[in-house]
Amino acid sequence: MTSKLREVPKYAFLSIVALLSVGPLYFMVVSATNTSQDVLASSMLPGTNLLANWQSLTEFQDVGAAMYHSTVNAVLTTVLALVVSSIAGYGFEVYHSPNKDRLMWVLMLAMMIPFAATMIPLFQLFADLGMVNSAFAVVLPVIATPLLILLFRQSARSFPHEIIEAARMDGLKEFSIFWKMFVPTMRPTYAAAAVITFMAAWNNFLWPKVILVNSDYQTMPMLISNFTGGYVIDYGALMLAVLIASLPTIVIFFVLQRSFVAGFTGVVK
Amino acid sequence: MKKLRTGMALAATATFALSLAACSSGGSTDDASGGASGDGEAMGNSLTVWAWDPAFNIYALQEAEKVYQADHPDFTLDIQEVTWEDLQTKLTTLAQSQEFGELPDIFLMQNNAFQKNVINYPDLFTDITDSGVAFDEFPEGVTAYSTVDGMNYGVPFDAGTAINAMRTDILEEAGLTLDDFTDITWDEYIALGEQVLEKTGKPMLSGIAGEPDTILMMLQSAGQSLFDDQGNPTITDNAALAASIDLYSEMVEKGIYLEVNSWDEYIASIVNGNVASTINGVWISGSIQTAEDQSGLWGVTDLPAVDGIDGATHYSANGGSSWAVSSNADVALAEDFLSATFAGSTELYDTILPGAGAVANWLPAGDSEVYSEPQEFFGGQAIYADVLSFAAGVPANNTGAYYYEARDAVGAAITQIMGGADPATALGEAQSTVEFAMN
Repeated sequence: MTSKLREVPKYAFLSIVALLSVGPLYFMVVSATNTSQDVLASSMLPGTNLLANWQSLTEFQDVGAAMYHSTVNAVLTTVLALVVSSIAGYGFEVYHSPNKDRLMWVLMLAMMIPFAATMIPLFQLFADLGMVNSAFAVVLPVIATPLLILLFRQSARSFPHEIIEAARMDGLKEFSIFWKMFVPTMRPTYAAAAVITFMAAWNNFLWPKVILVNSDYQTMPMLISNFTGGYVIDYGALMLAVLIASLPTIVIFFVLQRSFVAGFTGVVK
Repeated sequence: MKKLRTGMALAATATFALSLAACSSGGSTDDASGGASGDGEAMGNSLTVWAWDPAFNIYALQEAEKVYQADHPDFTLDIQEVTWEDLQTKLTTLAQSQEFGELPDIFLMQNNAFQKNVINYPDLFTDITDSGVAFDEFPEGVTAYSTVDGMNYGVPFDAGTAINAMRTDILEEAGLTLDDFTDITWDEYIALGEQVLEKTGKPMLSGIAGEPDTILMMLQSAGQSLFDDQGNPTITDNAALAASIDLYSEMVEKGIYLEVNSWDEYIASIVNGNVASTINGVWISGSIQTAEDQSGLWGVTDLPAVDGIDGATHYSANGGSSWAVSSNADVALAEDFLSATFAGSTELYDTILPGAGAVANWLPAGDSEVYSEPQEFFGGQAIYADVLSFAAGVPANNTGAYYYEARDAVGAAITQIMGGADPATALGEAQSTVEFAMN
């Protein structure tokens, strides 16, 4: 009994933290059903303005197209980033070369350069290639991130080298070892990497905004940004747009939640 | 078998990826040809425009397109929605990477940022001084924003004329009327404000802490700017600025001016009825009118004048924007479109005033009867006719290339002064910050 009593402050604390985290989400959902004026009055009760908010959201904005472009960009980024970064991370750990660590240092240093510094040369590069407004121009600069390479390198470290040796003895080619032995074992790492890449790609704003010159190709974050650019902001419709834009990341996170945690804590025990 | 399946999966991914890229880049070539054809060539019949705010600027563009189509049936406007911040980022990127081919024909530009962009990135613009646009049909204070070295680079659109919008019901509760606030000075305003606060418990004004909008409106109403005619910063030794800051601090200390933390809170303080009035560009009337339950309870008058300053007026401006013709434009068509619509169509302004509350800068439009129609939301007052008469009296504001730097520096100085710092020292720091940025 006493031990249970001792748990009370812990649960009280956790409940408060949980409320604080859920609060803004709840406000977002509720506000999507309220009028702009009710949102400004911080109404916490559901309203009846959902349909009207949807109408004013779709009156000026093509939500379907923005969701489509966001999905294409995020899926393409996630698939390519997982392939490229996992091969790189695996290679960094499994193969031995004297310059390997130096190269890793260069990659780590690259993490410290702010994107704003490389944006203009990058734009020039893509403009010269005639790739302005293309999904590939959005995706290419973000598929090889040092963070993902590091994540895969760390998980490759826990991958028993004996398995690789054994597979080589049995005559498996190097790529097949990666594809048939490493990839299936590292599924949780892939799931974790997929979640963070998808979220980052989905929320990516500055680069898509610059390279997608034609706003017919705009993504959801750009659509939401448009909402805050006018003289009169319709907060109800804005909240509905934010809610719609959050759904895919929420779904992906819940589907891959269990693997997400395992992917960071280590797969092979 | 397994190998085959793997291969097929990879191939499918690759095809998927390539087809997506192909379809997107295919679109981009369409866009490039639809954009601009460069000067010297025969006039096309399509223009691309970058602008923000579908309910205001873009709506006005769509109406302008209709007006122009009456004489040019084949004409089309490709309107790209880009928020102002994004538009500035795009312009900076294009200018620095010298990729002028991606520019639209026409873009909208904040008046306060116009000179900065023309001076820093002249290659983005086309000089339209001799375009046939009748610049003398706009107030000089407004064309000044888009004029650099005597050359015109913009057609003024949105006025940003400042109004003093007041809740007449709250004033009544304090035993006052709109007339008591008309043609007064800030000292008188503060005395009346104390009366309102005492009787109703509501402050007069609200604004974002650290943002100098209110002070800069006071400054401009007194005929002064943060820069002199040569473009040198005049943050120190500026009697009008010092007087405006004093008035502002006095109001905050007395509880007449409610400082809030964000734009959303500012709008909330107005529509939730937490303040008795607001002073801002006329475009604020759009936000005010979202509070449908307050219909009939608002009135509009002019601004108080800054005490003890020569040339102080009751008129000012905040915000506003103008159309710029890019260096990548079908110049002849763009100029003809702008002269026939925003600088030449009463019909256009007659439509967009009731439709979006877009008040014309173009003087001939003011003669239209639409402007003298009573506005139900403002208790039957013909506020747009009043706004036009205010607009004629707004002193010009010299923005220069470093307006935003100066504005930020003054904002920081005001925060320090409100925190108890010596005004002269804080403004001296602001002055040297701007001078440093300019060197």
